Amino acid sequence: MNYQTTTLRRALAADYAIGLMPATARKRFEHLLLDDAALRTELGHWQDALASLTGTLPERPVPDHVWAGIKARIEPQVLHVPAKKPFWMNFRLLAAACAVVLALFVGVLYQRDNTAQYNATLVNASQQPALRIQAFADYLQVEPLTTVVLEPTRAMELWAVPAGGKPISLGLMPDSGKGRIPLSKEQQALLTAPLTLAVSLEPRGGSPTGQPTGPVLYQGALATR
Amino acid sequence: MNVQAGLPSAYRAQSRRPRSRAWRSPISIHDADLLRPLLAQCALGNRQAFETLYRSVSPRLHGVAFRFMGRSDLAEEVLQEAFVRIWYNASRYEPHLAAPMTWMVNITRNLAIDQLRKHREQPLADGQQDALLDDSPSAHEQLDSEREARALNRCLDTLDGMQRQSITVAYFQGLSCSELADHLAAPLGSVKSWIRRGMERLRRCLES
Repeated sequence: MNYQTTTLRRALAADYAIGLMPATARKRFEHLLLDDAALRTELGHWQDALASLTGTLPERPVPDHVWAGIKARIEPQVLHVPAKKPFWMNFRLLAAACAVVLALFVGVLYQRDNTAQYNATLVNASQQPALRIQAFADYLQVEPLTTVVLEPTRAMELWAVPAGGKPISLGLMPDSGKGRIPLSKEQQALLTAPLTLAVSLEPRGGSPTGQPTGPVLYQGALATR
Repeated sequence: MNVQAGLPSAYRAQSRRPRSRAWRSPISIHDADLLRPLLAQCALGNRQAFETLYRSVSPRLHGVAFRFMGRSDLAEEVLQEAFVRIWYNASRYEPHLAAPMTWMVNITRNLAIDQLRKHREQPLADGQQDALLDDSPSAHEQLDSEREARALNRCLDTLDGMQRQSITVAYFQGLSCSELADHLAAPLGSVKSWIRRGMERLRRCLES
């Protein structure tokens, strides 16, 4: 549309001033106004002229609560800040200081358990790394290295296979893939001896027999750090 | 703060200063010369000036809000919101474009129209619906009742009945062209041309 036509510009300004424009047209017109001073002037004339339609309306006394409502909206919110206290009385500072101390404390505590005692990278049938396992004091941190889509009726179960012994279940792989598998005391004791870790495909809920029933997907040796 | 000293009397006394404009400004009730500095002070965060402004124009804006809403509770809500906006947007008022009163009336009117549109979307109870619908004749009664030599009213008189009616109804109800056509039970094309020709004629009249 050619907005330079005088007639059109006048008509648009008039429409806008009356309020006839639908929202999209209004936005477009406001955009035009931004860098068109002459159009703003034209609109100003119309707005002045039309505003005088309200000039004959009777004034109405305004109840006091309106002013109270306005004041409540425009007054800066009063903050209930108590009179100045020594800085150590400042609750927020104190809380921040406590948080720092706590964080340090927890950090120190956590550090004791926080290093993985064993690592294993399990490989799939084609010898590609498929699953990283870190053993901590009472849990295993597992992290898939490839994306695997399991049917909802299936689950992956992790087994410890002692040299020359039967596989012992360590638990199911987390549904989300990455996650933790908690270890019982017995399981923790197992992991002190050299062993192989394996993941088998099982029905949802894990092997019904206590031994792997499905194919072994990944396996690898647990290495002491 | 000298802005508010003796406002009400100063108000009317100074109120007829000629304005250098091609268009005669029909706004004269509340004089721009007094309101402009008040708005400027509001833009600087002067609460006293704001209160003075409120005291001097709120009855008029309340009248405007009531004309649109037709119910005192709704009118008061609109009025309150309008003043909150006036306070926060005072720095955006551009004195060279429109008279202060125009600016404030427009803020009030836009808020009122937003509310009306909301209410139109959710149908009102019967009584309220009537109150909204039958207010176009009262607009004319009010316009007719005060035949002052105000430029716009004089110029409105030069329009055909339907031209005048479509402009005033659209103005006071915030109707789009098609809603206006429904409201006036007239074809959309006719409504558009009434408005177009009416505004052209108004313009010529105001410029003369």
